[in-house]
Amino acid sequence: MSIHTDNSISRKLTWMNMLVSGAALLLACASFITYDMLTFRVTMVRNLSTQAQIIGSNSVSALLFNDPQSAENTLSALKAAHNILSAGIYSKDGSLFASYSRDHGTNIQAVPALASGQLEIHWFKSKEFVLVRSIVFEGKPSGTVYIRSDLEELDSRLQRYVGIAGIVLVVCLAAALFVSSIFRRAVAKPIIRLAEVARAVSREKNYSVRAPRTRTSGELAILIDAFNEMLAQIQQNEQALREARDDLELRVKERTAELEDAKKEVEAFSFSILRAKQELERSSKFKDQFLSTMSHELRTPLNAVLGFSDLLTEERYGPLNERQQRYVKHIHTGGKHLLSLINDILDLSKIEAGRLQLTIENVSVPTTFAEVLDTMRPLADKKSQTLLREAPSGLSVLADPTRLKQILMNLIGNAIKFTPEGGEIRLSASPLDGAVRVEVRDSGPGIPLEEQQRIFEAFYRLGDVDKKIEGTGLGLAITRRLVELHGGSLGIESQLGSGSCFFFILPVAGAVETRKDSPSGTEIQTREFARILVIEDDRASALLLQSHLTSAGYDVVLCDQPARALQMAAELQPSAVTMDIIMKPVNGWELLSAFKTDPRTAQIPVVLVSIIDQPATGTSLGADEYIVKPVQKLTLLAAVERCLNNRKHVGRTRPILVVEDDAPTREFVAELLSKSGYTVATAADGAEARMQVAASLPELIILDLILPKVSGFQLLAEWRTNSRTADLPVFVLTSRDLTAEEHDYIRTHSVLLLQKQQAWQETLIAQLRRILPGVLSEKS
Amino acid sequence: MGHSMDTSSLRSGVQRGFLSDFQRGWAPLAGVVFALAFFVTTVLLAQQPKPSEYQVKATYLYNFGRFVKWPGTVPAGKGDSFSVCVIGQDPFGSILDSTLAGEALDGKPVVLRRISKPQDAGECRILFISSTEEKHLSEILTALDQSGVLTVSDMPGFTRRGGMIQFVLEGDRVRFEINLASAESARLVLSSELLKVAASVKRNGRSGD
Repeated sequence: MSIHTDNSISRKLTWMNMLVSGAALLLACASFITYDMLTFRVTMVRNLSTQAQIIGSNSVSALLFNDPQSAENTLSALKAAHNILSAGIYSKDGSLFASYSRDHGTNIQAVPALASGQLEIHWFKSKEFVLVRSIVFEGKPSGTVYIRSDLEELDSRLQRYVGIAGIVLVVCLAAALFVSSIFRRAVAKPIIRLAEVARAVSREKNYSVRAPRTRTSGELAILIDAFNEMLAQIQQNEQALREARDDLELRVKERTAELEDAKKEVEAFSFSILRAKQELERSSKFKDQFLSTMSHELRTPLNAVLGFSDLLTEERYGPLNERQQRYVKHIHTGGKHLLSLINDILDLSKIEAGRLQLTIENVSVPTTFAEVLDTMRPLADKKSQTLLREAPSGLSVLADPTRLKQILMNLIGNAIKFTPEGGEIRLSASPLDGAVRVEVRDSGPGIPLEEQQRIFEAFYRLGDVDKKIEGTGLGLAITRRLVELHGGSLGIESQLGSGSCFFFILPVAGAVETRKDSPSGTEIQTREFARILVIEDDRASALLLQSHLTSAGYDVVLCDQPARALQMAAELQPSAVTMDIIMKPVNGWELLSAFKTDPRTAQIPVVLVSIIDQPATGTSLGADEYIVKPVQKLTLLAAVERCLNNRKHVGRTRPILVVEDDAPTREFVAELLSKSGYTVATAADGAEARMQVAASLPELIILDLILPKVSGFQLLAEWRTNSRTADLPVFVLTSRDLTAEEHDYIRTHSVLLLQKQQAWQETLIAQLRRILPGVLSEKS
Repeated sequence: MGHSMDTSSLRSGVQRGFLSDFQRGWAPLAGVVFALAFFVTTVLLAQQPKPSEYQVKATYLYNFGRFVKWPGTVPAGKGDSFSVCVIGQDPFGSILDSTLAGEALDGKPVVLRRISKPQDAGECRILFISSTEEKHLSEILTALDQSGVLTVSDMPGFTRRGGMIQFVLEGDRVRFEINLASAESARLVLSSELLKVAASVKRNGRSGD
């Protein structure tokens, strides 16, 4: 039971009743009062008119016989009428004849003349009523009567009526209130009850309740019946709905169970997949490990074979007879072939296994070409072949620099092999629509068309078996794979008798940050490298010198203006200077004198490089070395090295520590170092190395990565974090194939990375000379 | 007024515009008209000469006829007209002629007759006796006894001597005295209205006022 509901309909009904009856009553009272007022006014006019007539007829004689006194007597009879404010009689000519005033004020106004034939006029002013009537005696107008009356009677009547109307209204409204209470019982109550039921239904969702029937008939009863019927229908529908829902729930449960089963199956399946994946990963890991171990296990003994056979040929420990010499050479050649074969097989299997990661960067094509040709030239020279290169300066490609060199060396090596003596091999690159086409063209016999497709297969050997051409038969297969890894393809154009051309296409480099290129096969950090100033006004000669020096790891600065050379040298303070003699405007002799007299440059060693063969003059002027053009690379490097050694001749006796678990390799490296004049200490495992370094700091460490007890990686990490050993130079010498991460790690934490699968001995010695210029023992 | 209402764009200002137009445009005009009318009226009134004594008396003479009822048995000669007669020397001159010209009393046209002998007065309704006939008054009154003639005179002592209505002067104002007994004896009925405005009324030979 809510008061609000009760309020709404009952109150509305009550209000309706009250409003209707109130409005009707008001309207009725208003019209009645208006009618009465109008009637009363008419009556008033009539009364006043009568009074005026009486006064007029009683005043005729007075008017006719000019007796105002008599007229005033007549007027004074008006005293009896309290509503008359004032009255007056006017003679025919319009002048006031007699007057009367209730309050004895002579406030008689001029009277408008009546029009002829008009008997009477009257008008209502604000609070009074004025009537003017003409006096007619025997058909003749004899004067005018004027009467002014107040409206008090009208007003009091109105007040009285309004009062009565008010009382009537109150009584009637009370009656209406009473009547509406009866209505409420008859109409509102059933509706309220219906509303309550409706609310209960909507609140409790209980469709079983029914609205009570009323005794009354008509619309209300129909409404209640319809409502009940509706409820019954809803109840029925809800029942059906609930049943459907229950059914649905059941079905959902069934489906969920099914899904659960399916999920279990999927889980079981995915578990088996996971296991298979783990199995696969394990086997893949095993394969990786196998490859890594293989590379290590195969190369280590081979290195011993090659190293010691090499040492034997040097006849350091007694001369060999001619037959011994030959046998040792056979051992060395066979070992080298075996090493290259193993390298190729491992490379190929790495590529096939998808384990080869490329380090793509911006690679300068001309520089790469120069380096490759430098490496290959000795081979070509043996067969008197000409190596040519053509590449636009500034051309660069996106490639892995090491692998690009490998590709080019393989192709050129093949070309050298198959081209007869005195032939020509041309290496060229040309930009081609957002890419670069690289070609290796030779003047060899060419390849027959039917063989062109087969030459890329592994172990396919071109030509007859009886032809004695060495090689593994894997070179082209690896090359092709490497090119494909770069996103290109290797192609061949050849005709029998007119040479062959191998070509491939690489993407041209954008504005990619160039990583510091490192010389072939070795990773060298430049921070401690000596700087050489090359003073040479001939561009070609300067570039040649730069190429020789940078290949050995020197930091080269070119100076093609001899006049500025002294200033540059004073600013740069290079470790050494190479100087041409025939230069303009200042020649080399003058420049040399200037260098030696200037205190800023007097200490800098000078290597004269000239076509003039006057070493004596050079020495007399203070030159440290003298080289006659054409310059031989080794001569140049040796001269520069001597300069540097002389300059920093400080006798240090700390040893080079060789950490290597493989005894033959350890012995070989030790032999190599001591042969080159260095003091050597050795450690057979990581723990020993750690102890030795802790006991006394070596000059440099040559570190194998795969060691018993403590690995090379761990040692390197320890040394780098200890401030005492943080700057200790470390060369890493390993036969292990490194991942890109390991590569990066070693790059940042060591000075040099040497890999045993490549020719490393010469590089080791060369780098030692540079890093430790003054450590050579006195005996060498 | 019309132009003001046409300006619909000034609808909100119509009421004020109407009033101000009326006040500005019509009130002065009305004032002028009113002033002019007042001036004209006063001038006309000033030009009208104050009525002379006999003019007033002539009007009264006529008015008496309106307040008096004559007996049903009037002389035969009085049938067709209402005769107002003057006996003796006429003091009115032409005033009485012009006053009575075209008037009617008791439903009959008023006729003015000047007579010299009392015997001639038998046909008169109202007889004005000039003061020149003072010596013959008794003779005249006797001759008219009971003949239904209203006698009027301005000679002093007229009502005392048996006359019916006598003009008297109160200052400038003309009034009259009535001898009701004489009138009643002549079977004339005087209206109470007339009695009301009379300066004095004599009843039964006495002066009653």
